[in-house]
Amino acid sequence: MTEAVYAAKCTTCGAVSYAKHLICPKCRGEAFQPVAIKGEGTVLSYTDVYALAIDYDVRFLRLAIVELDGGLRVTGQLLDADPKLGKRVRTTVGVVRETGGKATHGLQFMPA
Amino acid sequence: MRPVYIVGAGMTRFGRSDFSLVDLAGTAGLAALHHAALSKVPVDAVVVANMGGSRINRQTALGSALVDRLALYPAAAEAVENGPASGASAAKIGFQAIGSGMADVVLVVGVEMMRAVDGLEGTDFVASLSHPEVEYIYGVTLPSLAGLFTRLYMDRYGVERKHLAMVAIKNHEHAMHNPYAHIHQPITMEGILTSPEAVVNNPPVADPLCLFDCCPVSDGAAAVVLASKEIADRLGGARVRIAGIGQATDTHAVHEREDPTELRAVRLASQKAFAMAEAKPGDVDVVELHDAFTILEIAESEAAGFFKRGEARKAIERGETRFGGHLPINVSGGLKARGHPVGATGVAQLVELVWQLRGEATGRQVEKAKVAYACNFGGFGNNVIATVLRKEER
Repeated sequence: MTEAVYAAKCTTCGAVSYAKHLICPKCRGEAFQPVAIKGEGTVLSYTDVYALAIDYDVRFLRLAIVELDGGLRVTGQLLDADPKLGKRVRTTVGVVRETGGKATHGLQFMPA
Repeated sequence: MRPVYIVGAGMTRFGRSDFSLVDLAGTAGLAALHHAALSKVPVDAVVVANMGGSRINRQTALGSALVDRLALYPAAAEAVENGPASGASAAKIGFQAIGSGMADVVLVVGVEMMRAVDGLEGTDFVASLSHPEVEYIYGVTLPSLAGLFTRLYMDRYGVERKHLAMVAIKNHEHAMHNPYAHIHQPITMEGILTSPEAVVNNPPVADPLCLFDCCPVSDGAAAVVLASKEIADRLGGARVRIAGIGQATDTHAVHEREDPTELRAVRLASQKAFAMAEAKPGDVDVVELHDAFTILEIAESEAAGFFKRGEARKAIERGETRFGGHLPINVSGGLKARGHPVGATGVAQLVELVWQLRGEATGRQVEKAKVAYACNFGGFGNNVIATVLRKEER
């Protein structure tokens, strides 16, 4: 997989954020560098959602918020048949949405 | 800041409408003007709250359209879009206009026609308020944000599915006495949770949330007339003052919140509103909360300061939040059963509270109500407006 998903690291205070800000919410710094999101973490919460947005031809989507080792929190798709709060998962990158033939890559979580 | 009064309130029945968007808004606006006995007095400004007209109804510039429908020219007019908090935003803008002295009479109308599109398009339209780059791309919808929030809240604060069901049953029961409510359907614990049929009646939407934890998709409009003290003094009837408004924002992506179970914007907006009103949560007699999902009634009632964290479920078990209880919440039926035409909701909350404070909520009147509170919850808690109303004796 050549695609990667990036968080932004504030070059002033080092805070890492998975959501773009032009001003750092922690220190007001204005310079950032991209850092690829990878590694393992734990499931903070998850849900099976049946009320789907357009673009999804599935019965439900399993979504999760994961707290990565190091503290960064991210939202993504949980590819785990037996989800549990606090369960260890590892991040991968895959196609998370396809709109009119155009694929969007994003974070997916597998059992660690 | 000059004092600001709500001198008239009206709404359409929520549900499914065959009206046009502008007719729906106009019907509510006319009802509020009639209620205020002000239909012959010049309106200085019109503020329309609406979230999806440009996308789902292909109509823009609703402020101008409503002025024309009600022949209120040359009133100032605009439409505001602030997601599901558009209604309270519009009321706040009216409040500022009168408070600053720029206007003496302002008509505030919230309107939404969500059933003009199918369920998938409707869900996607609301989902477009989520973070575009780190939430929406994953298939995040509002129910999914609520499901993620609920699982964590249940784990941390001992909330069980029965508490969620109690909120739904209560609000459905309340709506039975509100002729303007979308849903007139009593539900029972057996029917939605404990019987073998419950899984069929009440399928999952974003687990642990099920169908009866979620508000319906509604069309509807609601309106209030705001006026300066000079105008309010000329009118009869009980006088309702906007005693305080507070607004606060939070991170767009829910995962960025230090504690994703804390509705910080609800807490901060409520504190600001109570400070402006020189009131405290204990003074409040009747409450409208933004229960788009049952968990939100529980979590907002704690964040607004009515209960400590983790205590709301106990108050629900004791029946304190029911009509006749010590702190009745969502006597209107709430979003759960009155319905949730998103742009209209924040105004509909104020309509209910005005009726309650004026003693006009026939069939569901909270006795001796003097102080009222509303929470209009935008985004998934990233833009919240709290309003405190107070009845003033003449």
